[in-house]
Amino acid sequence: MKKILAFALCLALALAALAGCAGTSSSAAGNGPAGSAPGSAPADSGSAPGSAELNLYTWEGMFPQEVLDAFTAETGIKINYSSFDTDETMLAKLETANGGDYDVVIADDYIVETAIAEGLVMPLDKSLIPNFGNINPAYQGQFFDPDDAYTVPYGSGVQTIVYDPSLVDLEIKGYADLWDASLKGSVGVTSNFRVMNGMALKIAGESYNTNELAAIDAAGAKLAELAPNIRLIKYDNLQDDLLSGEVSACVMYTSQVTMACLANPELKVVYPSEGVGFGIMAQFVPVNAPHADAAHAFIDYILRPEVSKQCFEFMGYYCTNKAADALIEAEYRAFLTLPEDLDTGKMEMIQNISAEAMEAHTRVWTEFRQACGQ
Amino acid sequence: MRARRKKRGGVWLTLLPLYLFTLVFVAGPLVYMLVLSFQTRAEVWGVIHEFTTDNYQNILQPVYLNTFLESFRLAIVSTLLICAIGYPFGYFMAKLSPVWKGRVMMLLMIPFWTSSLIRLYGWIIIFRANGTLDKLLMGLGLTDSPLKLLYTYPAVVVGMVYALLQFMILAVYSSAEKLDWSLVEAARDLGATPLKAFLTVTLPLTLPGLLSGVILTFIPSMGLFFIADILGGNKVVLVGSLIQDQLMKAHNWPFAAALSVVLMVLTSLMISLYKRVTHTTELEGLL
Repeated sequence: MKKILAFALCLALALAALAGCAGTSSSAAGNGPAGSAPGSAPADSGSAPGSAELNLYTWEGMFPQEVLDAFTAETGIKINYSSFDTDETMLAKLETANGGDYDVVIADDYIVETAIAEGLVMPLDKSLIPNFGNINPAYQGQFFDPDDAYTVPYGSGVQTIVYDPSLVDLEIKGYADLWDASLKGSVGVTSNFRVMNGMALKIAGESYNTNELAAIDAAGAKLAELAPNIRLIKYDNLQDDLLSGEVSACVMYTSQVTMACLANPELKVVYPSEGVGFGIMAQFVPVNAPHADAAHAFIDYILRPEVSKQCFEFMGYYCTNKAADALIEAEYRAFLTLPEDLDTGKMEMIQNISAEAMEAHTRVWTEFRQACGQ
Repeated sequence: MRARRKKRGGVWLTLLPLYLFTLVFVAGPLVYMLVLSFQTRAEVWGVIHEFTTDNYQNILQPVYLNTFLESFRLAIVSTLLICAIGYPFGYFMAKLSPVWKGRVMMLLMIPFWTSSLIRLYGWIIIFRANGTLDKLLMGLGLTDSPLKLLYTYPAVVVGMVYALLQFMILAVYSSAEKLDWSLVEAARDLGATPLKAFLTVTLPLTLPGLLSGVILTFIPSMGLFFIADILGGNKVVLVGSLIQDQLMKAHNWPFAAALSVVLMVLTSLMISLYKRVTHTTELEGLL
């Protein structure tokens, strides 16, 4: 009797395993045609019964809880917020889920371009987004979505230099000033190697997105000279080290700048004279989103001026909603809108480059990190 | 005869799910990684199924070989320090009364209740400019300005020692506890000095514990790159950190896989070397 039971259990286990595999493969097959004909099919079939939920997938801390709660209270749609650390994790997961599982994803421009190219993004139904016109046109028509067919921008950031004038003797105007010998062992920088190698490229007058290997190698040699000044390379919470006095000058992102300056108004923010790198975060609906109509409702809700105002004041990124600009409180305005005298011709977005150029970048970056540790 | 065969068949059947599980979830990813390491990266995202050995040739560039050397250097430095602290600790712990043994064991276990990442942030609070250690040293009048302790190589070594010390202590403890102390007494009775008794009796008998402690600290320390990233300010580039960069930032999965394969081969070589030297087939203490 026992033996039969054991056998039955094993069989059940094996069947469950097989069923698991079969399940994914059959759903993948089912998704195939829907994926090749994006648009109405998944929106109609998937969303009707299940619209009381919305699966939101982005970094942590992208929305104030009150905004999410108010959306649920108004529409009855429950929000499941899941988060990722890096854009790459997001794309890998979305690929595994075959463009399903999630309803709204917010990620960086370059990865959104890849996601669209991989056929993982659904074109937006703008009739469901009456607030679409609120978007600041400065952030539209960008390389990752030239026709604005797939995305709605949600915040933008630039890389700026921030320094503490009480600890730094020179007036920093651009990237080149970071090479000054007086800053020995006191500079903190972000760990994004495209941004960092890009600093040296900008000093040489090159584009961030150059595919010239010689230019990247030359930038690497220039960057290696910066090594003695580098105290710290870090992606998250770089502002803490600036505020605690661990470093006296930093290259960092807008949200970190906002946090640092709110804590210490004495800090100076520099838009580097060589050129400013900027990025846009964008919302999109995956091609097989289970609740596509809820996703459109959410995107429209966030585009309301008063909701956007709350979101951007919370996040500390540049406001991409023109209608919300006027509502932003005075204390935040300097951080959330671009300075009017900024030369936008000098701004450039970091985009995908060739595989060889990417390899040169990673080699140069690894050499730089090793030089910093010497 | 027949009954026995039947019985064995039943055993195999009950073990089957376990074997399947191991095959699918352990061997599967390993094979996948090996295959991946011989493929070509796609231009922006993903992999092209074209055979190449470029990924392995890439590793031979000095900049990437250096990350292996750096990993070995940090692992050796950390392991030596861990031996110096952990061996006496485990040895004397085995000599405590049963009640105190339990208490010390408890103290060793308590840190494991908290995530190691959070414990590392504790070290940041101690080391950072004007942090706990700076305040203590300045209060005692030993220094007059904040030392730049955080984001340095010694800070990384402290983090490594802290994270792995318990493994050495427990390995040494378990072999010292099994030690027959009457052998030491006999050596002393026969005229050996305490030092000679230690070197000729105690040390050889606790050597298996020490060596398995070395393996248990050396091998993980090859992989604990997040300690170097957090306490070293990303300036100590270990293989693990390079693999993460290649995987998450450069989108070069085949190269990341090749690096992982080489790292695993090197690690396996260390273990087989250990077996060759000590003639043991299993690790003392924890395994």
